[in-house]
Amino acid sequence: MESELADERIIEDVLAGRDGAFIQLVNRYRRKVFAMSARFARDRDDLDDICQDIFIKVYENLGKFRSDAPFEHWLSRIAVRTCYDALRKRRRERGHIPLETIHYQIAAESGEELLAAEQARSLLEKGMAQLSPAERLVITLLELEEKPVREIAGLTGWSETNVKVRAFRARQKLKRILEKHHER
Amino acid sequence: MKDERDELLDELFRKARLMKPDTGSVEGHFETRLLAAMEEKRSEQYLWSSWTWRLVPWLAVIVIIVGIGSFTIDPGRSGDLFATFTGSDDDYQVTSILSGG
Repeated sequence: MESELADERIIEDVLAGRDGAFIQLVNRYRRKVFAMSARFARDRDDLDDICQDIFIKVYENLGKFRSDAPFEHWLSRIAVRTCYDALRKRRRERGHIPLETIHYQIAAESGEELLAAEQARSLLEKGMAQLSPAERLVITLLELEEKPVREIAGLTGWSETNVKVRAFRARQKLKRILEKHHER
Repeated sequence: MKDERDELLDELFRKARLMKPDTGSVEGHFETRLLAAMEEKRSEQYLWSSWTWRLVPWLAVIVIIVGIGSFTIDPGRSGDLFATFTGSDDDYQVTSILSGG
């Protein structure tokens, strides 16, 4: 509750023309925004661009923020929509070669588990690259970020039924892709 | 109903969740880059709007010149509406007489 009040106070300062206050807001939510966007970015440069886009949109639309919902939720909605836009844009620009890949922290206990986690991530990444932007967004938020369907619906602006349908289709496609992968 | 492939997929997701993106090194000096990008965007917008306003007098001059030109330079234009309509018809009649139509 205290954090929400503090956010509102910072927002008032930003709207009054203090850019320094905006940086305070950026620093508060930067980690969260980077962690979520990293699931959709191709490489480190792409991740930096997506996060810059998110915070510029936040800055430009801050006047439209209504304090009836927490700022973090409003920010997450902008972040999810910007990631979705990045996925759709990427479909039009094929043939990208990643420059510097994103690093991962591994919560595995043994070397075997670590290797299995790395293989699973790599396999899923290849499979998810073949999904539509909407399917990829939904399956990432649902399975990797472990967000409930209701929250995803709120973040994307799609109905809960729509989210469930997209998640189902994404799973079906992924299963087919993995099956083909096993056959090889 | 979950089949064997569903279980395999769930297992893959479970293993993949063990890996969290480590963005610490990308986040370094992010505020500086963000402020620079915001500044660049602002200056682009300012440049665009200032150019738009600068073009207004020139556009007004062009409109005035075209307006004056259309009334003074074009000799083919006639104030007589009947002559304007029948003028094109005369050409058609001459062509049909000459071609025997």
